[in-house]
Amino acid sequence: MRGTVERRRAKAPSGSGRGRARWPGVAARAALAAALAAAAACGGEGGPPGGAGAVPDSARRGGTAVIAGLTEIPGVNPLVPPPGYMASQVERYVLFMPLVQLGPDIGFRPWLARSWDVNDDTTEVVFHLRDDIAWSDGEPVTARDVAFTFRKAKDPDIPFPNRAYFDRWDSVSVVDAHTVRFRIRPYSQFLFGWSQVPVLPEHVLGGVPDSALATDPFGTSSPVGDGPFRFVRHDQGDRWVFEANPEFPEDLGGPPLLDRLVYRVIPDEATAVAELARGDVDLYPGLPPDAVGRVRSDSSLRVVTFPSSTYAFVAWNTRRAPFSDVRVRRALTMAVNRDAMLQAVRNGLGRVSAGPLGPWHWAYDTAWRPLPYDPDSAGALLDAAGWKDGDGDGIRDRDGRPFRFTLLVPDVRIRRDMAVMMQSDLRKVGVRLEPRIRDFASLAGAIQDPSRPYDAFLLSWSEDLVIDDRDYWACDRMGDPLQFSGWCDRALDAVMDSIPRATDRAEKRRLLREYAETVQSAQPYTFLFDEDRAVGMRADLEGVEMDVRGELRTVRSWWLRPGAR
Amino acid sequence: MIRYTGRRLLQAVPLLLGIVTLTFILLHLAPGDPTTAYFNPNIPPDILEQMRRNLGLDRPLPVQYLDWLRSFFTGHFGYSFSQHRPVAAVIGDALPNTLLLSGVSLVLIFVLGCAVGIVQAVRQYSALDQALTVGALTLYSIPGFWLGLMLILLVSTPAVSSWLHLPISGMTSIGHESMGAWGKLRDDARHLVLPTIALGLASAAGVARYMRGSMLEVIRQDYIRTARAKGLSEREVILRHALRNALLPVVTLLGLYLPLLFGGTVVIEVVFSWPGMGRLLYDGILARDYPVVMAATFLFGALVVAGNLASDLLYAAVDPRVRYGER
Repeated sequence: MRGTVERRRAKAPSGSGRGRARWPGVAARAALAAALAAAAACGGEGGPPGGAGAVPDSARRGGTAVIAGLTEIPGVNPLVPPPGYMASQVERYVLFMPLVQLGPDIGFRPWLARSWDVNDDTTEVVFHLRDDIAWSDGEPVTARDVAFTFRKAKDPDIPFPNRAYFDRWDSVSVVDAHTVRFRIRPYSQFLFGWSQVPVLPEHVLGGVPDSALATDPFGTSSPVGDGPFRFVRHDQGDRWVFEANPEFPEDLGGPPLLDRLVYRVIPDEATAVAELARGDVDLYPGLPPDAVGRVRSDSSLRVVTFPSSTYAFVAWNTRRAPFSDVRVRRALTMAVNRDAMLQAVRNGLGRVSAGPLGPWHWAYDTAWRPLPYDPDSAGALLDAAGWKDGDGDGIRDRDGRPFRFTLLVPDVRIRRDMAVMMQSDLRKVGVRLEPRIRDFASLAGAIQDPSRPYDAFLLSWSEDLVIDDRDYWACDRMGDPLQFSGWCDRALDAVMDSIPRATDRAEKRRLLREYAETVQSAQPYTFLFDEDRAVGMRADLEGVEMDVRGELRTVRSWWLRPGAR
Repeated sequence: MIRYTGRRLLQAVPLLLGIVTLTFILLHLAPGDPTTAYFNPNIPPDILEQMRRNLGLDRPLPVQYLDWLRSFFTGHFGYSFSQHRPVAAVIGDALPNTLLLSGVSLVLIFVLGCAVGIVQAVRQYSALDQALTVGALTLYSIPGFWLGLMLILLVSTPAVSSWLHLPISGMTSIGHESMGAWGKLRDDARHLVLPTIALGLASAAGVARYMRGSMLEVIRQDYIRTARAKGLSEREVILRHALRNALLPVVTLLGLYLPLLFGGTVVIEVVFSWPGMGRLLYDGILARDYPVVMAATFLFGALVVAGNLASDLLYAAVDPRVRYGER
C-alpha cells in the first residue's frame, strides 16, 4: 500500500500506514534481494541467534506474545475500509489465508491454493485449492468461498478499497469444490491481488446485505477465519486476542508455536517503549528512532531494522512560480543538509534519497547518487533563475517579490523538527520558509483539494512493491487528488504506461530506472530520505524474521524462551 | 428544590443544544473528512465518493445536522465511521471506563485534598505546613500528562519495579479473564493506581489550598473558641465542629473540578492506554469520526452540567442557610 506514515496519527491504519493494502506485496517477482539481504544482515543484532535448529519444536511451544501498536485495528474484514497496515497483516498472516504467499524471492508460493494453471495467452487462471482447510466454525473452505470473495471485491455497491487489484480480472466460475477458474485480461504480476486479499467465508458473510457489511460484527467481534490463529476476543480500543489453530496443516508449517497472540493498543510511544522494557510487551513495531539507542542498550531487548518502501519528501507545487522552474527545485534540494536531518530526526535509520525508487526495490541502481548538499551551487542556480538579493535584506527577490513560501507540515514531532531544520538551511541561501503545522486530516484535505492551495508540503509516503506511479506524475491525471506537484512529462508518460505491461524482467528494470532517473532529475519533489523501519523486541522472543513484506509474516514460527512464557 | 432542579435542567437543554451545534459546525469547518484521511491511491475517486455516500457525507450540511439530531433524540447517536458500529455501543463500552477512572480520581482529589488542607490549617506556619504548601503549589503547576510520563518512568526503573510492579497501561492484564473474582478485583485496582494519581493529584493540591484557607477562617470563629472552652478535645473541635463549616465552600469546588477532570481524561487516557471517553474523543477528532465526536462532546457537556447542578444542590443540602426555589 501507498499512503503516508503520518496517517497512523489519524485514525486509519497503524504502523507505517501507507494507505493502500498493497504494501508489502510485491508482485514484482523480482528480487528485492538487496532488501532481503540487508534485513537478514541486521536481523539479529543484539540478541542470541535464533537457535531454532537446536531446540526441538516441543520445547518451543507455549506462551503468549504481545504486540503493541499505536492505533486500534478497527476491523479485520478486508472488504471494509479503511485498509490498515497492521490490519492487513493480521488478515493475511494471522486470521485468514490468501490463495498465494510472497516467497523470499518475491515470487508467488502456494498457500490456500495448492497449485494453479495459467493458459498460454494469460487469459485463464485455474486455482486448485487445498482440501484440508476448514473455517474455525468447522465448515470446509471451498472454491465457492473464493468465488464469493471475488464477487464481493468486484461488487460496485461495496467500497472495497483495493478493487484495483482485480481491475483486469473479469469473471469466475466454480469448477468443483476445490477448483476455481478465472477469466482475466493479461498483464504482468497478475497474482499479486491474491497474495494481499484473503479468501472469506461465504457461509458466514453470504447473507449479509452490501449496505450492512461495514457494520457487520464479522469484522470487529466475530470473525470466522481459516488462518494459523483463531479469533478469541476484541476489546475495543484495548486489545485483540488470538489463539493457535491446532488444525493448521503440517506441510504449511503446522500450528503456531505460540499459544496466544495479543495485539495491544498503546497510543503513547513513551508508554509502549516502557512496557517493552518491563517485558509486558514482546514486540513493538514502529519503534521511534529516538528510542532505538535506549532499547539497544538494554540487554534483555533487541532492535531489528529493515529497509521499508517509505520515503520522506517535500512536494513542490509546480503550478506556482517559482517552483515551476527546475533550477529552483534542484537548488532547494541541494540547499538542504539531508544527511544531518536524517541523523538528527531518525537517528540515521535510513539513507539520503536518490529519487523515487528506494534501495528496497529490485530495480534500484547502486550507482545512483543523491543530489549533493551544496549551498554554493544552490545559490548559483537560484542566481541563474533570477532570484538575487537585490535589496540586501538577506532574502532573495525577483521583480520586487521576496522568495518566501509556506510549507504544510503534519503535526508529528519528527516532521516538525525536519521543517525547522529545512527552514534554517534555506535561510542560509536566502530563502524564507514558513512552516504551517496541520493535523493529518486537515493536511490530507488540503493537499488533495482540486484548487491546490499550497506552495509545498512535507510528508512521508510508502511505495507499493508493484511500482505504478502514474497517479503522481501522469499528464492525464493532472486533476486527480494525488497529482500533488502538477509536474508531468509526456515522454515519461509513455515509459510509465509500459511498466505494468512489461513481462520481461530486464526490460522492466530498464523502464523503471528510466522512470526514476527522469523524475529525479526534474525534482518535482525534494526526495529527502528512504526510511528504515525499526522494531523493538524482547531478546527472548525467537523465530522472528521481518522484511518489507511485513512484521507478522513469520508469526507462526515465533516462540518464547521458557522464562518468558 | 424540585422546581429549582427542574428549571436548571430545562436551562441545560439550550446550552447542550448549543454545544453540539457548535461542535457540528466546527467539525465541518475543519478541512478534510473521514475519507480524505484514507489517502490511498488504490482507492479510485469513485470509490471514495461511494464511501462518502455510504456515510451520508454527500448530503447538504443542514440535512446531515437534522439527521444527526433525529438519531440523537432516538438515543441512537448514529454510526461510528471508524468503528463500524452504533455510537451508542461505542459509548457504552467507553463511558463506564471513564466514569470509573474519574470517580476514583474524584475521591482521591477530595479525600487527599481535604486531609492535607486540614493538617496545614491546624499546623499553620509550621515547617510541615510550609513543606506541604510548596508541594501543593508544585503539583498544582504540573501538567497531568507529564506527571503521568514521569510516574511511568519512575515505576519502570528497576530499583522501583523490583518491589512495586504497577501496571503502566491498559485496564486489565493479559489473562485477566481467567483470574478469579478476587484476582480480577486486585488486577483492576492495580491498573487504576497510576492514572488516578496522574489525573487527580494536581486537583487534589488545589483542593488542599482551598481547604486550608477555609479551615483557617472557621477556626477563628467564636463558636470554635466556645467549643474549646467547653473542654472538647482538639480532635473533636476540628473534625466535628470546624470541619462541617469549612467543607461548605469546598463542596462547590466539585462543579469547578469536573470540567478539569473530564478534560484531563483526554490526555491521561492516551498516556495510560485507558480505553475511555477521552481517548474516544481524541481518536474521533483525528479520524474525523463526526458522530463519535458529537456524542462524546455532548456527554462531556452533560456530565459537566450535571456536576454543576449536583454541587449546587449539595451546597443546599449541607448549608441550612441556602434554600432554592422558596422566594
